[in-house]
Amino acid sequence: MDGKIVLNARVQKKDSSQAVVIAVTSSSIFDLEGWQKTVTEEDKQELQPHSAANENKPFKMGAAFPFIMAVQRVNEKLLEMNPEETLLFDVILLSKNGSPEIRSRVEDSVVHYGLDIGRFYFSGDDDFAEPLRSNNVKLFLSTDADDVCKALERGVPAAQLYQQCVQETAGPLRVLFAGDALGLSDDTEHPLREQGFSEAQLQSIAAAKGAMKEFATCMGEMRRRFGRDGSSLLCTCLMMAWSPRDVCVGALKTLRGWGLEVDEAFCLAGAPRSPILAHLQPHILYDHGLQNARNSPAQC
Amino acid sequence: MDLNPGQDTGATAAATNATNGDSDRSWQDPNDTYHHTSPSKKPKPGMVRRSRKVEGGIFFPKPENAVTIAVSSRVLFRTETEQKVYKQRGIEEYLKYQVEHENEPFAPGPAFPFVKALETVNAQLRELYPESEELFDIVLVTYNHAHVGVRLINTINYHNLFIERFCMTGGSSPIGYLKAYHTNLYLSADSEKVREALEEGIAAATMFMPEKQTEVSETQLRVAFDGDAVLFSDESERIFKAHGLDKFFEHEMEHENMLLDHGPLKGFLESLGKLQKKFYAKGQRLNCPIRTYLVTARSAASSGIRALKTLRAWGLETDEALFLAGAPKGPMLEKIRPHIYFDDQMFHVEGAAEMGTIAAHVPYGVAQKYQHHKKPAEKKEPSTSK
Repeated sequence: MDGKIVLNARVQKKDSSQAVVIAVTSSSIFDLEGWQKTVTEEDKQELQPHSAANENKPFKMGAAFPFIMAVQRVNEKLLEMNPEETLLFDVILLSKNGSPEIRSRVEDSVVHYGLDIGRFYFSGDDDFAEPLRSNNVKLFLSTDADDVCKALERGVPAAQLYQQCVQETAGPLRVLFAGDALGLSDDTEHPLREQGFSEAQLQSIAAAKGAMKEFATCMGEMRRRFGRDGSSLLCTCLMMAWSPRDVCVGALKTLRGWGLEVDEAFCLAGAPRSPILAHLQPHILYDHGLQNARNSPAQC
Repeated sequence: MDLNPGQDTGATAAATNATNGDSDRSWQDPNDTYHHTSPSKKPKPGMVRRSRKVEGGIFFPKPENAVTIAVSSRVLFRTETEQKVYKQRGIEEYLKYQVEHENEPFAPGPAFPFVKALETVNAQLRELYPESEELFDIVLVTYNHAHVGVRLINTINYHNLFIERFCMTGGSSPIGYLKAYHTNLYLSADSEKVREALEEGIAAATMFMPEKQTEVSETQLRVAFDGDAVLFSDESERIFKAHGLDKFFEHEMEHENMLLDHGPLKGFLESLGKLQKKFYAKGQRLNCPIRTYLVTARSAASSGIRALKTLRAWGLETDEALFLAGAPKGPMLEKIRPHIYFDDQMFHVEGAAEMGTIAAHVPYGVAQKYQHHKKPAEKKEPSTSK
């Protein structure tokens, strides 16, 4: 299994130096029927009969399929407004399983649904981080929190894809930034320390701010292409989970400084965020894994 | 407090999806727990307890435990100039204007005294019950763009308000968020949004800026309610509108012992009652910081009895019940000086506002079809009126 990035010849190549390159796991977009991880020989034996039966069938839509559709709508609209547009989403589809059966099924599924996916990357057992970094990937996305954490540990900016409750076929691409890190300056770190975060966590939070900057700047630029009513295509949100309001002002100003004027903002001051998220239904939940440490199941 | 019977927590079905960033998988150390700065808080064993300390040691209650009041920016503050800019010059100019004036705080709006009074009650509740989450929780819910957020927060700082929860929906309907926050009362300047909220079972009312404002108490929260179509359903009002006053009296006497159905603000009165009981438990019945009033056109001797019996059956009471037998409400309200008065009829709301009472319209029930307003001439010349 070679962890190379392969072009999808059926899709028009984008200028990846200008585009917003994102990497998405195939298990997020498709229902891989158990094939998502590199399988052992035993697993293969189990899955083989099913595979034979389904051999040429495209995979069913996965939990984050609406996300990829929304990304595509953004690209289409951008090209409509300017056929020479280079600030587009350039999607790399990442699959951990590089076996030939899966490769062809993934590629066929992409064709079947007419997805605007520029490149495939079948990583297999290889470390997926290096090729992502060298290919200028601005954000790695997955519905699996483990994937996101692993990517972050390896220095790849990553965010979670929210599992959509409703399969929306229209509507904007919703990008949510968890802003508790963004509003911090040296003197405002204090409130978070009182909340009980350890020193190590505070450092991660501070690091998160830098990592978000690039993607936020791209979103800001893209959002501006659409103008005031563009929130029907690309809707950006800021959510503060615990921070007091002055940190919220700090976050808004930080984002503004990066060129991103968010459409919506929520300051929860410790209220559980699940009900808000369930209503908001963001596609991209960019919180640098912070929330995973804070919520206990009883409060969701 | 989740007392309003009409509220549903429909969001919980979706919220149990544990992998949406809400798993309890720790960021670094699975056994990481909080170190509370307050020695009196003991973390429950086996569960990472979310600390609620935010600013200066004041903590913010969980929405389901608190009485959540959602106010929109247009009723908390005066934004008439900005509204004009929006109407005349469109949204781009409006947002630019807001950003340019970011450091200029807004002036207080019609809901401001009410919110200040809520905070006074909170301060006293915290003193008596430092660990309790049964408090008022004020959330600013606006469908303004987040651009205006900076100015709103600057204004909140300027006026020293204790609001830490915000919801700026950038043009989308705030109704879903109201439900997610377990809202007990929603105040807005937009009657459409208020109607939507009422339809979703959330107590809501439209507020207007009165031309003059009389002073209200700074130590006691006073809330006044109309009876029919506010605390009670509009069933009796329907009889009145369809068949006239005599039929109404007849009907009420016949059904004296039959409970009226509940109206949109019943749940809110209930929440107030629960908080009042907390003060009574600490010996503060006589000078309770919360006082409630029923101000109804019903008459004490006849139709009022059914109202009182209903309240009693519900286990609710108001501190004062004023049966006006059809007399104008303005003068009575002027004496009470509530921080807010809820009525389903614009006629009464405007009448109250003329005399400086802060009144809120509950667009519920049959009266909405028969709205008649005070004549414009009367409104424009308050100085020459009786």
